[in-house]
Amino acid sequence: MKALAITAVNVRRMLRDPSTIFFVFIFPMLLILVIGAAFGGGFEPKVGVLDEGGGPFASEFVAEIVENEDFDAIDYDDRKLLLEDVERGVANMGVIVPVDYDERLSTGEVAEVEFVGRLDQSVVQYRSTIEAIAANQSAVFRAARLVEDEGLASFDAAVQSAQLVAAGPIGTDVARESTGESVFGENLGQFDLGAPSNLILFVFLTSLAGSAALINTRRLGVSRRMVSTPTSIGQILVGETGGRFAIAMIQGLFIMIGAAVAFEVRWGNLLGAAVLLILIALVGAGGGMLMGAIFDNDEQAGSMGVFIGLGLAALGGCMFPLEIFPETMVKVAHITPHAWGLDGFAELIRRGGTVADILVEIAVLAGFAVLLLALGTWRLREKLTH
Amino acid sequence: MNVLECAGLVKAFDDLVAVDDVGFHIAAGETYGLLGPNGAGKTTSISMIAGILESDAGTVTVGGTEITTHTTEGKAQIGYVPQDIAIYPDLSARENLRFFGKLYGLPKEQLDLRIDEVLEVIGLADRSDDRTDEYSGGMKRRLNIGIGLLHEPSLLILDEPTVGVDPQSRNAILEGVEALGHSGTAVLYTTHYMEEAERLCDRVAIIDGGKIRAEGTRRELVELVGQRDTVNLGVVGSAPRLVEALQPISEIESISAAEASVEILVEGASELLPRILDTAQQANVGISGVEVVEPNLESVFLHLTGKALRD
Repeated sequence: MKALAITAVNVRRMLRDPSTIFFVFIFPMLLILVIGAAFGGGFEPKVGVLDEGGGPFASEFVAEIVENEDFDAIDYDDRKLLLEDVERGVANMGVIVPVDYDERLSTGEVAEVEFVGRLDQSVVQYRSTIEAIAANQSAVFRAARLVEDEGLASFDAAVQSAQLVAAGPIGTDVARESTGESVFGENLGQFDLGAPSNLILFVFLTSLAGSAALINTRRLGVSRRMVSTPTSIGQILVGETGGRFAIAMIQGLFIMIGAAVAFEVRWGNLLGAAVLLILIALVGAGGGMLMGAIFDNDEQAGSMGVFIGLGLAALGGCMFPLEIFPETMVKVAHITPHAWGLDGFAELIRRGGTVADILVEIAVLAGFAVLLLALGTWRLREKLTH
Repeated sequence: MNVLECAGLVKAFDDLVAVDDVGFHIAAGETYGLLGPNGAGKTTSISMIAGILESDAGTVTVGGTEITTHTTEGKAQIGYVPQDIAIYPDLSARENLRFFGKLYGLPKEQLDLRIDEVLEVIGLADRSDDRTDEYSGGMKRRLNIGIGLLHEPSLLILDEPTVGVDPQSRNAILEGVEALGHSGTAVLYTTHYMEEAERLCDRVAIIDGGKIRAEGTRRELVELVGQRDTVNLGVVGSAPRLVEALQPISEIESISAAEASVEILVEGASELLPRILDTAQQANVGISGVEVVEPNLESVFLHLTGKALRD
């Protein structure tokens, strides 16, 4: 109970600090959002579609765009609004089907569809998809025109026949086959890559920077005052460790649940993810305890915590995926617990692994936790009683 | 019965022996002072007594239970008030008291009651829910003491509780300590203020260089070093004639005359003063003023260590 009281007071103090709230809860989620939006997979560009004529050919063209899986189509009925939204980025591009689209196609003329987009590479590449849809429809009309010119049927009848043929299993299709393994795995969600990295980065960062709170407690004399009460040193150490662990767990759970709810991040096997989170929180708590026992200046420890936390995160693959590291650097990365944690999450999230598949990662992280907690509590015990 | 007994306490930090063979005892209701300058070994001594610092040698028992850094039994009888204000600045007074109350193992109902009582005693009831970093220095110091009183200890250890405190708060603290002594609590009080030791302490140990140089009541300490009262007489008339008239009084140890005053060193000035004044009258020497200066702990300390308390 006494250890619990010490743990609780640590958590209460952390939750009471507005700056901590931002860096522990808000900032990690923002970073997951930004990284996922910028670099994550699963990006679906929004295409604004305006059908000015509303004829059957135009509707068919629009339907092809709406049904295309590469786009998320937004229907517009106002040209000015569409252009404004493209300018503001609400829609990534716009397609305007002119009022005389059906008439021009029926009379054998060329109908021009406007493609509106900002001058950026990612949008330009989607223009070819729109052009392919237009080319498909044009092929139908060219075939119908040929039939009409040969006197075999009326244009309208020929169009209907050509459309039926086009919808059937005829023509050339390009089949795609994969070779080798995907770097990041198949079906990776937009935020699935960034969320585990940020979880590990921030849990360690908070734990290491949070060592300042432990030093502050020592410097205030509160730790020694605890020793003067009928509370054993063991209970105090467990309580202080529990405080660091609880803070790491609260942050980790918040990121995990928040990312799952807000960004649909799939963490894979729940038991495996929970075990990894607990071990990462324990390693963080051990690191925080060790730093809190080694340093005597809380400001110095806070700065060093951020420096070490970011350095280990960069080295361990939290800032750039381990998969793009050279082989030597991958080996070096595995001197950090971060890399082992990332490996564990990669197995669960990308390859559908279970606890049995991450036993090595679990063992290594447990080793880190035991080592750091033992060193941290030993140093703190010395500081408290000597 | 002695509440605290400690003997042979030794503590060295590398080559520096901070405490060397310190020992004393305190009975219930007794206030015991450790008087010495900064660095004398007071805080190191009481840290060992409070069980927060491992000693190199020696024993401490409180209420018959041995106290070390590793024991918890017996520590419930100790209220420790460190010199530093050891409270969480981002918690309120009530939250600080509740936290330490839990560490002292007080049951919830008793804790709630005691928190309210202590807040009243230390005068923070109306600010009990404010964060303590919004308190004045005196308020923090009072809370610091209040935490030590929370569990009604039989031994209260106060480490220089008035350092950096305004006169009003200081007086309140001293009155509180006096009341504790009357209530039966054994108090161990460290200070480098001679006036506080003289006002509060039933017995005083003079400590310097990690060693207790002398111990006893104020009177015993004064007698131990042979200090005498000094009587200063303002003289109207011939000072030498008065000196001559006083010479036959055997209780007078020494006498010296200035232009309009005479300084007499004597044991028991209050008993001898009427006879001195009669002698002056008989010698036809007028007395314009009388001042009796009793020896104090400052002079005892000076005599024992060769330096002033504030050196």
